[in-house]
Amino acid sequence: MASISLRSVSKWYGNVVAVNDVSLEVEPGITGLLGPNGAGKTTVLHMMAGLAGCSEGEIEVLGQPTRDNPDLYRRLGMMSEREAVYHFYSGRKFVELAARLHGLADAASAVDRAIEYVGLSEVQGRSLGTYSRGMRQRMRLAASLVHDPEVLLLDEPLNGTDPRQRIEFHDMMRRLASEGRTILISSHILEEVETVADRHLLMVSGKLAASGDFRAIREKLDEQPYKVRILCEEPRSMASALMRLESVESVSMDDGAVLVLSRNVAALQRAVPLTAREMGLRLLRVEPMDESLESVFSYVVEG
Amino acid sequence: MGPIFQLSMRQLTGKWRLAIIILVAAIPVAVALAFRITGDAGDRSANDIQDAARVFLDGMIVAAVLPIVVMTFATASFGNEVEDGTLGYLVLNPVSRWSIALGKILAPVAIAAPVLIVSGIAVTLIGLDGDARTAAAVGVGLFAGVVGYSVIFAWLGLVTNHPLGFALVYVFLWEGLLSSLLGGIRYLSIRAYTLTLMEGIDDSRLDAFQELTIELPAAIAGVVLVSAAFYWLTVRRLRRMDVP
Repeated sequence: MASISLRSVSKWYGNVVAVNDVSLEVEPGITGLLGPNGAGKTTVLHMMAGLAGCSEGEIEVLGQPTRDNPDLYRRLGMMSEREAVYHFYSGRKFVELAARLHGLADAASAVDRAIEYVGLSEVQGRSLGTYSRGMRQRMRLAASLVHDPEVLLLDEPLNGTDPRQRIEFHDMMRRLASEGRTILISSHILEEVETVADRHLLMVSGKLAASGDFRAIREKLDEQPYKVRILCEEPRSMASALMRLESVESVSMDDGAVLVLSRNVAALQRAVPLTAREMGLRLLRVEPMDESLESVFSYVVEG
Repeated sequence: MGPIFQLSMRQLTGKWRLAIIILVAAIPVAVALAFRITGDAGDRSANDIQDAARVFLDGMIVAAVLPIVVMTFATASFGNEVEDGTLGYLVLNPVSRWSIALGKILAPVAIAAPVLIVSGIAVTLIGLDGDARTAAAVGVGLFAGVVGYSVIFAWLGLVTNHPLGFALVYVFLWEGLLSSLLGGIRYLSIRAYTLTLMEGIDDSRLDAFQELTIELPAAIAGVVLVSAAFYWLTVRRLRRMDVP
């Protein structure tokens, strides 16, 4: 049974659609929620945690509705993207607050365990205001873990961490997942979760663009044609030259511009300026017609 | 509720905030003292005491210092959490929204009430030649005012990003101007409840507020109902809002 389930979930703020008809399921293990900034990942995580209501659709975590359901937080932990902490508290006091709010019977032991888990036992007495960004992230993670949750939602948890801390974080996540937990990690940087997650969900422009293992996502992306509008000198000559390229699927004219459809964007990006230079034509503008696909593309390639 | 109350107390009692507020609350005491020292040493008439009550208790404390002190703490109670993005730490716990709201409302009450009651009683004893009964009347009235304003301003901190601005407009327009001009508004005025309670407990010295008060049972019911209504609105907001 899926630990997290979203059915036709949408969220809008006034006229702005943040999440558009997303259905997905997350099972125990580590799942990466990927997408460029502004893709709707944080909104989805907030709705999963009950911090935000959905405008349409249904969300269940561990078979329960998440909105206005405080009892669910005995089994759910979340670390949000916002890095604010109570600076006047020591690291230990901060985790203690979480333990006390959860009403844990043996709060002191739970706090010790959580802080030891993130490797900050030696600095637990220091004020949070004196911590590095990475240390604060780890102490926030300790506060999310203190009640031993079955489901853990982590929004951009690796912000501000260095490569060594990332490796440690990955090890920590694997240990937590091996204990049967469901962990959902969001990130806009593919390499941050590529190696640690068993499955991936890819969000673009508020929609679930792809899901599955990493290879399946890449294949899915390759299936989507990419449309580019090119403004240049002598567009008809340019159009006929572009038609000969392997990376180009079709070419058409649109109001003095060349519209190109391609499934191999990387090759197209290299070929267009070369073709223009060979023909002695000046490129005035090259713009993607489908911003979301462009984002997906650049995201995956750059990741 | 305990951890949230303790956290809120820690958040609200920054050195500077507390020092400024104590200073503000000390102003009426200093003025009353100066008035006493420079005034006639002989017995004061009932009219003098009524004038002093109007100026010191209503004009300075109830109409100005009370709402300003309470708004400083109560709007920040939830307002700082929303602004800093730390509200999530409180709501992502198996704690009822009633408990969260109660902790966040009680903290400004616990800080503002002692400061204001001490200030009010000092003014009563110095400026009004008050006795124990007068002091009790002022203390009870101010406590009711602190509770009423705290609930309203805590709610305001949750519903707007500019709670202090809205609080100031509300205090000066509704509580100051409109409640003085329109009798009906006094039934929904914390200032009127505060003055009515004071006058109801000690009408021998504090009967100077007749033009600003309502019936005592209406004031008691009013402060209870307004506090309960805004407490409920706060809980409702916590349940329905999208937590940043």
